[in-house]
Amino acid sequence: MNGAWNWIWKGGGIVLLAYVILRGFSTPLQPGLVTAAPSQLKLGMQTVTLTAAGQPFGKEGASLSEFTVVLRAGDQLLKTETQEVQPHGITVAVNVPGVLPSRALDAFVFTPSAGTLFLGNACFVEEAAKGDIPTSYVANKPDESTPQLGFSFPFQPNIIESIRNLLWHVPMWFSMFFIMGLGFVASLGQLRTGKVMWDLRAEAAVRTGLLFGLLGLATGSLWARWTWGAWWVSDPQLNGALVTVLLYSGYLILRSAMGDDDRVGRLAAVYNVFAFVMLVILLMVLPRYTESLHPGKDGNPGFNKYDLDNSLRAVFYPAVIGWGSLCYWMYTLRLRMNRIAYSLLSR
Amino acid sequence: MFALTLLNSLEGFFFGSGKAHVVTGVALIILAGLAIALWRMDRRLSRLEAESKESHR
Repeated sequence: MNGAWNWIWKGGGIVLLAYVILRGFSTPLQPGLVTAAPSQLKLGMQTVTLTAAGQPFGKEGASLSEFTVVLRAGDQLLKTETQEVQPHGITVAVNVPGVLPSRALDAFVFTPSAGTLFLGNACFVEEAAKGDIPTSYVANKPDESTPQLGFSFPFQPNIIESIRNLLWHVPMWFSMFFIMGLGFVASLGQLRTGKVMWDLRAEAAVRTGLLFGLLGLATGSLWARWTWGAWWVSDPQLNGALVTVLLYSGYLILRSAMGDDDRVGRLAAVYNVFAFVMLVILLMVLPRYTESLHPGKDGNPGFNKYDLDNSLRAVFYPAVIGWGSLCYWMYTLRLRMNRIAYSLLSR
Repeated sequence: MFALTLLNSLEGFFFGSGKAHVVTGVALIILAGLAIALWRMDRRLSRLEAESKESHR
C-alpha cells in the first residue's frame, strides 16, 4: 500500500511537471501591441506602424476594412486609415490636427477575431496646441469583436512572453512555504516530545526549503531585470523574501556553530518556530499593507484574480502541485540521509 | 522595446523575443539549482557510505 502511494505521488508529480513544461512553452500568447513607430508625430499627414507580440492578430489576405485603428487623445478619438495589415503589425495613415486635448496618444486596434488591442502613450505630438480635436478629424468608436483566440495566455504589457515564468518562479515560493510549514510542525514536535526524529525532519525541511527559496530569489531577480529594469528593487515583498531566506540560513549556521552540543535540537527548534512566524509575517502579512511593484497587492501576494485568468490557472495549479511534490521528494531524500547519518553517529 | 534590442547583445537576446528568453533563463537557473542540490546530496551519500563501511569493519 505504502509502495503504491509512493509511486503515485512521485510519478504523478513528474507527469504534472512534464505537462506544465509542455503546456507552458507551447501555449500561444494573446496578441498585444508593443511599439509604435514613429513614436514622435508631426502635424499633418503621415504613416504610423504598430507592432504586436504574441500570436498573430491578422490573417494573410484579410481585408483592410476589417481592421480599424483609433488614436485617443484625452477622451477624444482621432481617426486613421488602415493601409497594410500583417500578422504582427498594422500600418495606418493619420492626419494629425494642430489642436489636441493631450500630446500623448493611446492606440486602439479593433480586429475582427482578436478583440481590441491597446497601447498606452503610443505616440506623442510635441507641436500640438491644447484644445478639442476638429470635428472632421474625429473618429466614431468602432464595434468591438469578441476575441476568438482559443487556449492562450493573457497578454500583459511589459511582461509579454515572460508571463510563462509564473509556472517556474511562483511555485518555488509555494514549495518553500509548504516545506517550511512542515519544518515548523516538526520543530513543534521536537519541542513537545524532545525526540530526535523530529529534529532530523526539521533540519531536512529547512535545507530543502532554502534551496527553493534561493531559486525563487534568483529567478525573481532575472525576471525583475527584464520587467522592472533592475536586478533588485528595494520593495517590501522582495526584501521580505530576502530576509526570510537569510533567517533560515541563520538556522543552518546555528546548527553548525553548536556542533555536537546536546541542546542543539531544542535550540534549533525554537529558532525554527521563530523563523516560520517571521516568514508568515514578512511574506504573507506585511506585503498586503504596503505599496509594491510586485503583483498581487489586493489581498494576495501572488497574482490577483485579474492577472490569473482561466488559461493560466489550468497550467499554474498543476505546476504548484508538481513542484510541491518534487520539493517533498527532495525533502524525503534528505530526511533519509539525516537518519543514516544519525544512526552512524550514535552507533 | 525593439530600440532596446540594439543596445547590446544580452539586452537583445532577452528583449528581442518578446522576453520569451527570460523564461529560458529562469528555467535554466532552476535546473542548475536542482542539479547542484543533487550533486551535493550525492557527495554526502558517498561520505555516509564510506563511514558505514568503516564502522562495519
